[in-house]
Amino acid sequence: MAEADTILELRGITKVFPGIVADDHVDFDLRRGEVHALLGENGAGKSTLMNILYGLYRPDDGEIVVRGQPVTFHSAKDAIAAGIGMVHQHFMLIPVMTVAENIVLGLEPTRDRVFIDEKRAAERVRDLSRAFGLALDPNQRIEKLTVGQQQRVEILKALYRKADILILDEPTAVLTPQEAKELFGIIETLKREGTSIIFISHKLGEVLEIADRITVLRRGKRIDSVPAAGATEPSLARMMVGRDVLLRVEKKSPSPGDPLLQVEGLEVLDDRQLPAVRGVSFEVRAGEIVGIAGVDGNGQSELIDGITGLRRPAGGTIRVAGREVAHSTPRLMLDLGVGHIPEDRQRRGLVLEFSIAENVALHDYAKEPDSKWGWLFPGRLVERARRLISEFDVRGGGPHTPAGALSGGNQQKLVAAREVARDPKVLVAAQPTRGLDVGAIEYLHRRLVEERDKGRAILLISLELDEVLSLSDRILVLYEGEIVAEFDPSVSEEELGLAMLGGGRREAAA
Amino acid sequence: MTEPVAPGTPPEPVSAAPPGTVAAALAIWQRAGGLAVPIATAVLAFIVAGLVVAATGHDPLTAYKDIFEGAGYNWIFHPSTDTAAAAPYNLSQTLLQTTTLILTGLAVAFAFRCGMFNIGGQGQYIVGLVVANWIGISFIHLDSFLHVVLCIVLATLAGAVWAGIAGFLKATAGAHEVISTIMLNWIAIWGASYLFGDNGPLQGPNPAVPVSGDVVPGAQLPVFWGDQGFQGLHVGLFLALAALVVYWLVLNRTTVGYEVRAVGYNPDAAAYGGISVRKNFVRAMAISGAFAGLAGALDMIGYLYHFGVLDVQSNQIGFLGIAVALLGRNTAVGTGVAAFLFGGLLYGTNQGLTSGVIPTALAQNVTYLIQGLVVLFVGADVLILYVWNARKKVRRARAATTPEPAA
Amino acid sequence: MSVRPMPDSAALRAKAAEPKSIAIAGIVLGVLAFFLVIPPITTRSIVGPIVVGVAAMAFGFWAVRGGAGRVGWGAVAAGVIGLVLGIVATRSSVGNLNQVFTASLIADMLSFATPLTFGAIGGMVSERSGVVNVGLEGMMLMGAFWGVYGAAVSGSWVVGVLVAAFSGGAMALVHAYFAIHLRADQIISGMAMNFLALGITGYFYYQLEHGGYLSTNVKIPNVSIPYVKDWSFVGPAIGNLNLGIWAAIACVPLSYVVLFKTPLGLRIRACGEHPRAADTVGINVYGIRYGAVVVSGMLAALGGVYLTDGFVHGVFNENVTAGRGFIALAAMIFGNWKPFGAFGAACLFGLSTALASSGRLTVYSPNGAILFQTLPYILTLIAVAGIIGRTIPPAADGRPYKKQ
Repeated sequence: MAEADTILELRGITKVFPGIVADDHVDFDLRRGEVHALLGENGAGKSTLMNILYGLYRPDDGEIVVRGQPVTFHSAKDAIAAGIGMVHQHFMLIPVMTVAENIVLGLEPTRDRVFIDEKRAAERVRDLSRAFGLALDPNQRIEKLTVGQQQRVEILKALYRKADILILDEPTAVLTPQEAKELFGIIETLKREGTSIIFISHKLGEVLEIADRITVLRRGKRIDSVPAAGATEPSLARMMVGRDVLLRVEKKSPSPGDPLLQVEGLEVLDDRQLPAVRGVSFEVRAGEIVGIAGVDGNGQSELIDGITGLRRPAGGTIRVAGREVAHSTPRLMLDLGVGHIPEDRQRRGLVLEFSIAENVALHDYAKEPDSKWGWLFPGRLVERARRLISEFDVRGGGPHTPAGALSGGNQQKLVAAREVARDPKVLVAAQPTRGLDVGAIEYLHRRLVEERDKGRAILLISLELDEVLSLSDRILVLYEGEIVAEFDPSVSEEELGLAMLGGGRREAAA
Repeated sequence: MTEPVAPGTPPEPVSAAPPGTVAAALAIWQRAGGLAVPIATAVLAFIVAGLVVAATGHDPLTAYKDIFEGAGYNWIFHPSTDTAAAAPYNLSQTLLQTTTLILTGLAVAFAFRCGMFNIGGQGQYIVGLVVANWIGISFIHLDSFLHVVLCIVLATLAGAVWAGIAGFLKATAGAHEVISTIMLNWIAIWGASYLFGDNGPLQGPNPAVPVSGDVVPGAQLPVFWGDQGFQGLHVGLFLALAALVVYWLVLNRTTVGYEVRAVGYNPDAAAYGGISVRKNFVRAMAISGAFAGLAGALDMIGYLYHFGVLDVQSNQIGFLGIAVALLGRNTAVGTGVAAFLFGGLLYGTNQGLTSGVIPTALAQNVTYLIQGLVVLFVGADVLILYVWNARKKVRRARAATTPEPAA
Repeated sequence: MSVRPMPDSAALRAKAAEPKSIAIAGIVLGVLAFFLVIPPITTRSIVGPIVVGVAAMAFGFWAVRGGAGRVGWGAVAAGVIGLVLGIVATRSSVGNLNQVFTASLIADMLSFATPLTFGAIGGMVSERSGVVNVGLEGMMLMGAFWGVYGAAVSGSWVVGVLVAAFSGGAMALVHAYFAIHLRADQIISGMAMNFLALGITGYFYYQLEHGGYLSTNVKIPNVSIPYVKDWSFVGPAIGNLNLGIWAAIACVPLSYVVLFKTPLGLRIRACGEHPRAADTVGINVYGIRYGAVVVSGMLAALGGVYLTDGFVHGVFNENVTAGRGFIALAAMIFGNWKPFGAFGAACLFGLSTALASSGRLTVYSPNGAILFQTLPYILTLIAVAGIIGRTIPPAADGRPYKKQ
């Protein structure tokens, strides 16, 4: 069993980024040989806290005490020297090099003081693998390994550098359930060997399974630290999600018409060619808002890409207003009447160097009245932009202002304006209020309801529980690429949060 | 007013990533620096080059004055149209070079607007030269106007195709256009050396000399300032100026230009908007090559009339286009002015020097020095400007943040 | 980097049966098909090249099926080319063949390949660390000029070589500063180097020539190998090569060992593949990149000084490098950023230049031989078009790195 002596303490850690307090006087301690989980939603401050511990960020306030000594880390190197290792969510591995090369990089064993001692490197890797139960071939190239194996390389990297405090940042986010099981086995072995582990996660079930103690963060503040023994999924969910006052939009009850978007058995692969959307089926009717709730990384981006034509689905069908879509391209979906408010407005939705007028024309510049036979009529673009600017109350400039000069809220309004003005049948809104201030959020929510009342079918995909609960007429929960639950908006936050976090599956009463 | 980030959003690190494409980077300048930056760049380049000149025992101020007069810029003090006098003649020669530089500059600028680096201007220029020469010595019974038009059109097309190859390779195989255009440059140079060389198919009437044949008088462009026999200024200048206008029009008033600019600034948004990024790669390179091919045509039928193997190997006017475009920040007006500047340098350091303060051979290399310095400083100043801008934004944001009260 | 157990016959046989080895054998056979008909063997029947060429193609197809795509198709190509050229050569008169394919062809090939080798290895080092260096041409030109200057002023070729290396390194340092610290576009910075070199060398050529600073008879010496130089064929081929050529050849295995067998090499490659990963394990990415770029400049400059002071004695002409820096870049790409590949490409390109020079292919067509000069560029275009398999630059090549 874990001994009671404390090996690591974080006291009053505070970190501020422009516009947000990421960590607010957070306390955290770690006992030798324990697995201590750091639990919280996206943006709760978990990764920031650990990046501070690993020397990648400098805290604005607070101190770090390792093995009883206060320390200041100027870089990851210092943290490594103090015995701290971190396995990031995005691996720091070099794909074309072998396992052994990646592990010994920076601390290479040498032969005759000049050459790398390849044999000894491989030996050391094999010894470590055996000692900690991580089966790996030292001479295999990283790009040929599965994600689960790559993660083990990352763990070995830390162990090679004699880390006995190991930070795992959302380690199961990239693993299959099978691999996750194997990881837990490895964690048990590590515990036995005396390693202390900090396990960052947002998944309730796992955390209860693997951790000895659980600390919950919410909005940068530490809520509580509890032993895992006494905790339950509902109690943890309550701590994570909290009881905030919701911004509820006033809306009348929907009167939905025919289905305008029908998705059946949709399968979409992610960038690594692994299934991210596994057979999703649902429909969105005219005059209703369907909200898809879920924690980031459960297939939302891929689902959006599949529906809007930015990614070719690997299987299943999409029907827009009854018409089946065979080979979806962005152009085709646009022409079929699918509007898309993208989740990354600066990368996808807008060309920041273009003026507002030019951005408004992004989909239709090649059609009349914007142009004829290839000749652009900027005057007409400007006219249209002016109309939209006043209709949507876009502030910060006129039709000639570059889009990059607008504030985030106004940029999003611009994107929404453009999409709505095209009179789409279906509107896909992905993270529409990310990064916006309260006023802009309120405006957009009202606008979306208005569009619903005009008879459009609106698909809302959001990581914000509040938003989903407030706007949706029906709520679907996406978890690990599948729709696992359907609720109506009267569901309690706890229940919704639970479903989002993989706990208790339920079918809603219709 | 504070702009707190909506809850649930992961915080962004303080320093944002630098812009992805060259076009976007240069666009930041356009918003921030205005005219001051290119002027400062040019001045700085002249100063550094002047230091080199001074360090080797020549008086830079006199040298620059000499170059100034050699370029004919002093014409504003002695305005006259009589090219027997020095200043008018020099100016006419400077404008001759400007014609070519405008076009080779546009060849680089247009590609930059689509986020691509066209280093192949030299090769595209030579291809234009070769085709114009070939047409110009053939079809001798064709009506003069038609002959000229044929030369220009085919040479321009040839340049477009030559550059289009690089665009095609980028669109289909993802081959970096820098590499492809550099390779195509040298293929064009050696190809032309073969064509104009000893026993080459396009060698002129004298078998002892590796020079091409002369374009027949019927295909030569009329001269409007100076003597046809003494390398007067030909009407091609107006075509070059028209090209500047066409460049601006295409970019700002056509759907083609819209797509090219969108792809240049943000390929992701362009794709989301329904634009075919690949098609635009080919298209933008082809249009760029057309400009350079046109330059070759105008030079060939405008005043060169023939070209030799030695010229092929030593010519740099396509490369100077890179400096022109960068100094002119890829805009129509900027390219025009920068072309005039470099045209003056090119000619002024070559034929026009009179005071002997600095020998011609040295002065010519001063042009290359300035060319290199301009390119170097442009490469860096965009970033310095961006960093400066970014720091301002961060300071503004920091000032707006109010930390929440302690729990 | 795989651990190699002590080779035993079973392991060797297994290795020989690997698709890659079969493909390499195919390439050798393709070359052999042609080799049979040229001096000194000079068979005259077309049966020889046909049989051997077809065998080469067969080996190639087998290798492709076994999975060694790139090398396999290379073997097929070698087979086809060897067969065709072999047949063509049998049609040519023996006299002509003897003029073209003399032993000195090898010497000339190596000589032309030397600046390319230096440049390509230099470029490879820089790009392996993640910094694109298209300024190789400029750095080579600097070396060509300042090397002669150094030799002329001091009377010693050693000083000349050192001065050349210094000049190349200094120019590379400027490029490195702009590319790494200022994070300027690396292509723009590299091209600026080329223009600057043209201006600097041209300027100082005239400036110093008047003082007579540039005339010299000092030259990098040849290396005369005592017994070898008298052997037939091998003697004229390699018995009396310039020291610069041997230095270039030595760079190839040296760079291989350093890059792939030493900790420094591992770190350099890490910086070029994934600089952030390297940073998080404590590697000084900036420092390594600076070093790599400076080395690349020095190597390119060595190629330049060979051109002016090894190949001939102390003669500099304006723009003497005439694009060799770019051919070196092409050789690096064609060789897939690997030392032996780059050297092979450099030899191939050197061979085509040698064939194009007077007295060889000019025997067939005096002017047509010039077209051979385009071969390196056409081959590289084919390579980057991915027709014979992908060229894979280091993953972070050309992207400036910012420390957090």
